[in-house]
Amino acid sequence: MKQRILHSALWVGAILMNYPFLWMMLTSLMPLEQATKNKHGIWPETWNWKNYLDAWNAAPFGQYFINTLAISITVTVSVVLTSLLAGYALAKIPFKGRGILFALILSTMMVPFEASIIPNFVIISKLGWYNTYAALIVPWCANAFSIFLVRQAFRSVPNDYFDAARIDGCGEFRFIFTLGVFLVRPMLITVALFAFLGSYNSLIWPLIVTSSESLRVIQVGLTVFSGETGVRVNLLMAASTIVILPTALLYLITQKFLMEGAGQAGIRG
Amino acid sequence: MRFSFSSIWILCLFSFGVGCGAKDNSDTATFRPIQTENAEFWHRQTTVTAELMETIVAQFNAENPSLPIEPIYAGNYGEIYRKVTTSIKAKTLPALAVAYENMTAEYAQSNAVVELDSWVDHPEFGLSEDDINDFFPAMLDTNRFTEYDGALLSLPFTKSVLVLYYNKRVLKAAGLTTPPKTWEEFITQSKQIKERTGKFALSFDVDCSTIDGILFSMGGQVMKDGKTQYDSTESIETFELIEYLFKEKLAYQNPPGTFNDETDFGNDKIGFILRTSSNRPYLEDLFNDHDAWGIAPLPQSDLDNPKTVLYGGSICLFNTTPEQQEAAWKFVRYFTSTEATVQWALGTGYLPVRRSAANDPKMQAFWESWPDNRVAFDCLEYAVPEPNISGWQQIRNRVARAATEVISSMSTGQDAAIRLKKDADAIISKQRN
Repeated sequence: MKQRILHSALWVGAILMNYPFLWMMLTSLMPLEQATKNKHGIWPETWNWKNYLDAWNAAPFGQYFINTLAISITVTVSVVLTSLLAGYALAKIPFKGRGILFALILSTMMVPFEASIIPNFVIISKLGWYNTYAALIVPWCANAFSIFLVRQAFRSVPNDYFDAARIDGCGEFRFIFTLGVFLVRPMLITVALFAFLGSYNSLIWPLIVTSSESLRVIQVGLTVFSGETGVRVNLLMAASTIVILPTALLYLITQKFLMEGAGQAGIRG
Repeated sequence: MRFSFSSIWILCLFSFGVGCGAKDNSDTATFRPIQTENAEFWHRQTTVTAELMETIVAQFNAENPSLPIEPIYAGNYGEIYRKVTTSIKAKTLPALAVAYENMTAEYAQSNAVVELDSWVDHPEFGLSEDDINDFFPAMLDTNRFTEYDGALLSLPFTKSVLVLYYNKRVLKAAGLTTPPKTWEEFITQSKQIKERTGKFALSFDVDCSTIDGILFSMGGQVMKDGKTQYDSTESIETFELIEYLFKEKLAYQNPPGTFNDETDFGNDKIGFILRTSSNRPYLEDLFNDHDAWGIAPLPQSDLDNPKTVLYGGSICLFNTTPEQQEAAWKFVRYFTSTEATVQWALGTGYLPVRRSAANDPKMQAFWESWPDNRVAFDCLEYAVPEPNISGWQQIRNRVARAATEVISSMSTGQDAAIRLKKDADAIISKQRN
């Protein structure tokens, strides 16, 4: 009986959580009039599959997808690499000023994104990176939160592993890339997922540092459906459905590790 | 952890202090163009209107190939503002960008904006006196900045006026045949709609421009001699009108930032909405039936002296190289020509900026297809722009807050108007100091 109540509660929760996605997908198939007037329930009066074609053609979404995936994957790999190295060093290599260095890294989390836009843009501009992939990628290749997470993961690994490896003549880099990676794997996947989602969903920074259509990202593409006087709701939902597919797929693949990683770092949703 | 958190805070405060103390030397800076092969034009148009703009730009570039204009979608007005202010700090700017006038005023503080009077008077590329007189007065007035000795710092781009949209089906159900001409009639009709149909008369979108539009139509002003006039009789009447409509449950508030009022209007749930004339194409798509809705001028207090608010974006040119400035000027001159302004108006729903548009056969055919299409154009002769001073954005927020306080019964219309006057003047004096 207790389990039935629990399962019912979970079903209710699951339906509530998924309803917005269902609404998005059904709205994406409605004619504009029904989607705008919000009448006749959530079921489309006619199934307008053409909305997907219209949404896709409203902007160069193919190019946007390629750009976004290229940028997000590069950022993700870079973040994993930098946080792995920095996290290991801060957790396991004793050196003078380690605590201060870690504190300095953490202090960057206190600077809001909004406050860093102008200095970051000035640096990018002075480097001649405006309107380049470098501007979209390099500033996001390392971040304090990821370093913190990986450091915490390494701290939970007993020192015996490291001592044994050292006795056998294993160097730091070899240890990190042959053993360390596997010891903190759930956390690295969590870090990778956060980095990918952060990069995939970014809008303001790409909008500021690019002007060329060939460098634009998917989130900029979604803004074309919102005009000054109204929103093309059905096309926006069609484009949104397309856009969330890669992230939904990624989440489904990595959800097991995400849960483990969240458990390790004590993260709560 | 073997470190002191206080050291971090000291470091942060030090960094913040350095940032705050850093001198903004933009006023002495020269701005580099973002690119030299083209003159970049940052805009916010998307889909159909973006295609039309690209067509107009292509027409211009065909006649002026030396330094082509390159239109770049740069997000909405707020995002463009952030992009421009960030670029000003990096001393790199496009040739031109769309902006609301209060944004242009802020860019001008960094000496980033080209003063256009010298271009207007340019012996080769300038505008004739006939050209100047052909612009609707409000179209140029809104781009002249008193803070900069009345200099012309931008030219009109996406202009529209506040109008009254009415739902003929709801009015018919309430036994009404024509929309209200005065605010007294508006209240009478609103009550009739409520009594006979049980529906709300109006979904009110809380927006400074709408409130200023009502204030103008009541015969009032927003600014006079450098001070706001929100404590005037007309302003108090405006807030009391809002208070009355909500108190009597004749109106409800549209969720901020949404277009739900248009949805409810299309679903025959309300009789009226007060919105910009540029919403017309969107409502056309929503109704697809001219027997179901109509466009009327804003109700007035004095029919012999009508007023409404002019709003929408302008284009400003940036202080980069002389070549970029020349290309940008030639483009805005072309874009505001009768031919281009008619093409733009017919394809977008924005209003032509010149009086001579009325003689254009395509414009006339458009008006003949449905007489209500002409309503907004006719309002242009008496449209009044809002102030374009620095800090106006903050005042806009205060106006919206005052209206929200009235709507939520936290304040009476009179108290809200008087407090608003004090707040708005404080913002202005802070800006001046």
